[in-house]
This record gives sequence, C-alpha cells and structure tokens, in this order.
Amino acid sequence: MNSAANLPAPVPRPRLGVGVSYEGRDPALLDMMLPHVDVIEVTPETMSVADGDRISLDKDILAELKNIDREKSIVVHGVSLSIGSHDGWSPTYLHLLDELMDQVRVRWHSEHLGYTRVDGEHLGIMLAMPRTEQAAELVAQRAWCLQQRYGLPFLLENIVHVVPDCPADYSDAGFLNAVARDSGCGLILDVYNLECDEHNHALDIQAFLAELDGSHVKELHVACGVKHNGLMLDVHSRLPRPCTMDLAQQVLRDIATEAEVIVYEFMPEAVPGLGNVAIANTLQQMRQREWR
Amino acid sequence: MDLASHQRILLGLMRSSYQPGTGDAPYYHRVAGSPDLQEARGNVLLWRVYVLERTCVLTVELLRQADLLEEALLDFIRQKNISPFREYQPLAFLDFLGGHDDPLVVSVSQFELALMKVREGDPCRYMVDWSYDPTPILQALAQREPLPDRADPELHRTEIAGELPYLFEIKRLARDSANDRSKFQTALTRGSRYKSTGATSQ
Repeated sequence: MNSAANLPAPVPRPRLGVGVSYEGRDPALLDMMLPHVDVIEVTPETMSVADGDRISLDKDILAELKNIDREKSIVVHGVSLSIGSHDGWSPTYLHLLDELMDQVRVRWHSEHLGYTRVDGEHLGIMLAMPRTEQAAELVAQRAWCLQQRYGLPFLLENIVHVVPDCPADYSDAGFLNAVARDSGCGLILDVYNLECDEHNHALDIQAFLAELDGSHVKELHVACGVKHNGLMLDVHSRLPRPCTMDLAQQVLRDIATEAEVIVYEFMPEAVPGLGNVAIANTLQQMRQREWR
Repeated sequence: MDLASHQRILLGLMRSSYQPGTGDAPYYHRVAGSPDLQEARGNVLLWRVYVLERTCVLTVELLRQADLLEEALLDFIRQKNISPFREYQPLAFLDFLGGHDDPLVVSVSQFELALMKVREGDPCRYMVDWSYDPTPILQALAQREPLPDRADPELHRTEIAGELPYLFEIKRLARDSANDRSKFQTALTRGSRYKSTGATSQ
C-alpha cells in the first residue's frame, strides 16, 4: 500500500504568467492593466506608421514599450508574416520585426500558422494551411530559419478554419506536432479558436487535445468574438466566456503543463465597449485563478 | 495536391475570380458552394469597413448615406492589391475614390485625403473644389447626420495645409476662379508647392 511518504515528489511546474495584448497609444488602459500582468503582447503591424512607401514602427509606441520592457516581458505576435505562402513570406513584416527587435527586449515572437498572401496578392483574410507533407515541410523550414535569424524562441498559433478543410495527410493536432517537432519551434494554443472550429466545422476538441503534444505549447490565448450568420467569428471584441476559461484550465492542467503564459487578446477598437475596468478585472481574475 | 495551385485556387475563390471546373478536385467545388466561403468574403469586406470607418470618417459616412459603400469597397478590393496594414488602407482607398463617378464623393474623399496627409506633416498645400458650400455637408458628415438638402450650386474651394489654423479653409469662388483651377496644379507660392487634387464637384 502506498503512503504519501512513498510517492515521488511532484515535478514543479513553471509559474503561469498572465499576459494581455496591447497596441499602444492608450496609457490609461496600460496603467490599469500593468499591475495584473507579467507579459505584454504586441503586434508590429498595428504599431506601425506609413511614411510614403515605407512603413516603420511608431516611435511613441516604441518609447512606451521601452519604458516597461524591464518590468514586464514583451512578446511579439505578428499577423502578416504569411509564413505559409508558397511564394515566400512578407519582407515588410520582417523589416518591422527587425526594427522592433533592435529596440525592445523581447522574450519570444510568434505568428499564425497560415497565409495572407498568394503570389503577392493580399487575401484580405488569413487562411489555414492545407495539412500536407509539403506544407508541413515548408513551414517547419521557415520556422527554423526564424529561430536562427533572431536567436529567440519562435511560436506558431493554431488559427480558425475559414473555409472547409481539404483532404489532408495530417490531423489538426498531428500537423502542429509535426511542424513543432521538425522545426524546434513552440506552439501557441488559442482555445477560443478551437471553440470556433468546434462550432463552425465540428472539430472534436477533446480528440484534438488527446493527440496534441502539449510539451510544445508555451503560450495559451483566450478571447471572444461574435456570432454572425450562425458562424463564430474570431474578432476579439468581447470578454472571454467562462467556458473558454474552463477549457484553458483543462489544457493547462492536462496537456500544456509546461506552458508559461496565458494571454487575453482584444482589439483596441473594442476597448470603449469593454471598458478599462472590465478588462483590468478580467486580468485580475486570471491572475488569481488556480489554473493548475 | 500542389501547395501553389491550392493557394491560387483559394485566392480565386475568395475574390470570386475563379470558378472550379471539371478538372478541379471535388474539394474546390465544395468550397465554392459553401456558406463558409460566402461568410469569408463578407468578412474581408467587414474588416476593410472596420478599418476605414475609423480612419476615413467623412467619406465612409457619405458612402453609407448614398448606399454606395459596399460597391465602392468591392471595386477597391477588386482593383487594388492593397496590404491589410491599417496604415496603408485609408490613403489608398481615398486616393482610389478620386476617380469615383459621383462628384461629391470625389470632393469629400479628396478633402479627407488631403487633411490626413497634412496632419501627418505633409508640407504641401492641397485644393479641392466643390459645387456646393462644403460647410453644412462636412458638418453633417462629421456628426453622422443626414446631408442637408442641396441648395443651388455655388462653387467653393477648400484649401488644406499644415500652416492653416484649422488645417483648412473654405473659400467661395467666382466662376472665373473655378475655371482657372488648372493653374494651381503647378504654381509655386512662397516656396511651397501647391498641389491640386483635381477634384471638382459639379
């Protein structure tokens, strides 16, 4: 009969940090959020300004980030690298990333596992990769290059499926596992995106989680959007639903036991409707929650 | 399935510029007929509106009131391969509307474009001509109220420059002045290059 004294000591798990997306130019909101977070997630494209044909980072926002990059971790989360485009990724995005990395201390950077351009033409939306051997190899190679280029961890996020799935060599989780394994990159698991895929395309979340190699997951995302024409949209305009938080908790306890951060994402345009206080309260609740 | 071909077909489906044929895999026929694709196309439009209604306030309000917004945006998306970067879209959209059929859309969009440029430090002086007094038109659009009933045509010109107290001023034109519009396109005054957008609402 086992006694408590004979059981192996539990392996200590890394403390889970709380993060939030922030696009700059709202110091009042930032002041309210900072006491409740460890990580600030920034997106280079939304902190950029056009200067003729050139695009560069807004100097005021850079100054804001430099002010807090010793106190809080900064993580970069891009949307327009288009890592999965057959004809190459976006040099404009990399130019912005170079500029940001030169000026701000960054803990890691990440992108979405999808593509936004084809033959230089903008889709206007992000599409998920076909889960083929060819696509996995292409993305893994580029993810490896990005890690070499910046000498920092690089993560890829599962995105919502906008159109029906095509015939594939991998399952959803199997594709993520293969890309992470072959490139050495980490993963972001966006649990709201899983809920969207469950609602819109009948994804079996529990089967997905059972197959996912959670050791690659470093970061979780929670968010909430709206339903339109019966479909759930990934627009980050609301406070996370309790069911999303519960799913995140299940993932953190059972699957992504090494994950270091959970980030609440919202669009700046949603702030007036959400209210600074409600956002800060959400972060405070996330900070106080026993996730594991 | 080759990745390049797959992505090209989906781009064509997203833009309604490709119809799967007998040689295409059943998957692409399924996507073409799916409600998801319709929703995705709508989302592309909504994302553009989302950015533009916050940046091109006057022009989007005018297009909405005239029930021209969707048509103008679809034309814009079809004809211009504009990056989804928020910073590029407003300037490109307003510039695109310089060729619109409706003269009031041309005047409002080119006025807003010039205002946006001088706010960002552009040293040029821009001129936009109007067939009606722009004051009540701009007031109504800024407050999202219905446009006033148009009075008799009355030629006006807005000048937009960073050195002006409110960044622009409105002048009533004599007919002869309006006919002289072309001279402003190349004129140099006090060392600053005058630019005319060429916009004249008739």
